[in-house]
Amino acid sequence: MVTTQTTSDLALIAHLLRRAGFGATRDELEAYAANGYDATVEGMLHPPAERSYLPDDILRRYHHDFQDIRTNGSAASYWIYRMVTTNAPLEEKVALFWHRVFATAQTKLIQGKPILSQLDMFRKYGMGSFREILIQISKDPAMILWLDNQDNHNGAINENYGREILELFSMGVGNYTEEDIKECSRAFTGWTIANTDYMAMKMRNNTARPYGYIDWHFEYRPDDHDEGEKTFLGKTGNFNGEDVIDIICEQPATAQFIARLLYHSFVADEPPVPQWPLVAPKDPAAIQLLTDSYFESDYNIGAMLKTLFTSDFFKDESAHFARVKSPVELVVGTLRQAGGFDGPTYDVYASAAACGYMGQALLNPPSVEGWQGGDDWINTGTVVERVNFACDLIGDTTKSGVQAIIARLRRDLEGVMPTPELLVDHCVDLVGPMSVPHETRDVLVDFAAEQGDVDLSTGDGEAAVAALLQLIVSTREYQLA
Amino acid sequence: MTTEVTSVMKIADTIGFCADIGGRGFHLPNAIAIRDDGHLYVISRSSQMHPKGTRIGICDVDHEFYGEFSGRGTEPGQIIAPTGIALDSQNRVFVTDEQTNRVTVFDTDGNYLSHWGEQGSEPSQLSGPAGLAFDADDNLYISDQWNNRIQKFTPDGEFISTFGEPGTGSGQFDAPWGVAIDNGHIFVVDWHNDRISKFTLDGDPVMSFGESGTEDHQLNRPSDVAIDAEGRIYVADWGNQRAKVFDANGNFLQSLRGEASVTKWGADYLAANADELNARQTFDPFVEVGTRTPWEESARVEGYFWNPIGIEVDTSGRLYVVEAGRHRFQVYERA
Repeated sequence: MVTTQTTSDLALIAHLLRRAGFGATRDELEAYAANGYDATVEGMLHPPAERSYLPDDILRRYHHDFQDIRTNGSAASYWIYRMVTTNAPLEEKVALFWHRVFATAQTKLIQGKPILSQLDMFRKYGMGSFREILIQISKDPAMILWLDNQDNHNGAINENYGREILELFSMGVGNYTEEDIKECSRAFTGWTIANTDYMAMKMRNNTARPYGYIDWHFEYRPDDHDEGEKTFLGKTGNFNGEDVIDIICEQPATAQFIARLLYHSFVADEPPVPQWPLVAPKDPAAIQLLTDSYFESDYNIGAMLKTLFTSDFFKDESAHFARVKSPVELVVGTLRQAGGFDGPTYDVYASAAACGYMGQALLNPPSVEGWQGGDDWINTGTVVERVNFACDLIGDTTKSGVQAIIARLRRDLEGVMPTPELLVDHCVDLVGPMSVPHETRDVLVDFAAEQGDVDLSTGDGEAAVAALLQLIVSTREYQLA
Repeated sequence: MTTEVTSVMKIADTIGFCADIGGRGFHLPNAIAIRDDGHLYVISRSSQMHPKGTRIGICDVDHEFYGEFSGRGTEPGQIIAPTGIALDSQNRVFVTDEQTNRVTVFDTDGNYLSHWGEQGSEPSQLSGPAGLAFDADDNLYISDQWNNRIQKFTPDGEFISTFGEPGTGSGQFDAPWGVAIDNGHIFVVDWHNDRISKFTLDGDPVMSFGESGTEDHQLNRPSDVAIDAEGRIYVADWGNQRAKVFDANGNFLQSLRGEASVTKWGADYLAANADELNARQTFDPFVEVGTRTPWEESARVEGYFWNPIGIEVDTSGRLYVVEAGRHRFQVYERA
């Protein structure tokens, strides 16, 4: 069935980079492979202390709308830059993971800045203790306004946050009672933002007048906190939010829930979260391994990810190309493959918008449940968007990444007028490495043959390679991670 | 709110309003110029998301708004990324556009007159034209951002001379931005080198000051400069979210953090929107936000500067600081 063979080391590293990052160029893959798989995992979990990405000052000078980073187009574009140019891809991937779990959307929050601050928090804490992550998200202004905790008062609770922290953020339905939700909500009374009334009013009225949006910050109001005794998950005391989080983190259900979330995002698609009480995990042994890691590491997400990336269930070939790339993975991965951004460009807005056209508008998940993903990413409309986006980039021979592929072909095929089969196999390998079925390879070879001899020293030769690359990124296999 | 070594300036007024889709006010303003009768021309650069917001507004220090001109586009008289603005001795308005690499000229009422300039790195060509200023003979000096040089033109766009090159040494630039001319000298904001450099109008270096950092006397990606009648140097310290005052020798005098109040146009708006006015009764525009990171702090405190990007001083010594993030400018006067 499979005709295009790849070296196992590179294939495994490429698999890791697709999941723990946004893919990699061939030069990057070879550098990672030279270090070895385990060292690559360590390097991704512990990136250089000095983060590298297109600097904020350069971006803000060029993109004047980044001065207040208010609109979704501005804020999402800023994140695209970070994901494409970062030297810490797992950090961004983990931020994307938590953005999907702790889904907050600009449709309600209106301004983009607080969600970008939330992403900064994910970068800082996302691979640390889950307890600390829960504390930070409970204090996060975007989350507070998203789930109305500013309306959660002593003596008049609003249950939105108390419910979701249990249902969607930690334990899942079936592991707590309605009374636990009420008690949890009581524990989070007084957790609000400063200047509450005016900030909430501006959000509701959706107005930047008179002086633009004002970013939010957390404020704890002891006078509005319910100091009464609470009984939560079988324990009783004068609990505040941190105490409730301690109890949540101790629960086996929490460990299993987080394990399944990680499996869902980094290994293989699971059914929608609301179905989890009814549908067993695909790989119960994998979930148990991750659950054990959760408790052994004192709830550390980085330790769980290390367990995951070094596990047999992750490395196994059956896990390769087993997930549909999310739109952001496809867009950012293709941008990185094509050479990334040398500097600021207005083209970034189109890249951010493309994610939305494909079904994953950054900073705008469709609901508190985030994006489901999996096969839901694919329909007749989104496939066209995915193919068009990838083709436009990979077909542009001015892109440094495309030129790097062509240069590699020149080197590998020096002195050889490649047959269509040889050219196809090389190109498929350089875009992946990936494997395509016979029937797909036949189509690619027929296309290459129709273009005649390809002389890589000429512009026509480069154009012929670019056209072939466009067809390769249009395949089903390129849509998979 | 103000760290003072020498108290030179004090807050006098705040003018502006977020008019993101047009109307009285500004949207993401980035530069200001003063007509000889005190009328103020303010660029609203706006954003890709609000194309109607790109224009130039005219107002005065008494909060009168006289209208606006130009708009987003590449047709004659239109602008895409307006970056600098200056008036010549005839009160004609010159606007640089760092995207189209053009200089567009309007009469004092905003009627389109002409445009010139083309992209490139040869002498006379432009790459990201930014700040601009006229000398006493109406020669125009333009900060040629990505070519790292200052170019001198006639008002009709005829090339005269150029000086500067990329680098960090004397006479060199790294992405220059604002410029100001005073008493036969040109001051250039050397953006990425975090310094202000003074030259003769022939381009001979005279002095340079500034070092990178967040202390009062330091600069972090400054964007604009202005000089008063006594030779004091005012700097929009964009990255530090402050306006800085230096003496004529570059010695630090004062750091301004911003002390904005509700503007007249803002008050009119709130008066017509009772729910927002009511919600503002408990609002603290100088609330303590628990961070000293300048950009983050400014994003959360309405009264502080948020992205002070353009700076100008008038003949009476009044200082105008344009804030891109808050769609207004703050006015300071001598203490």
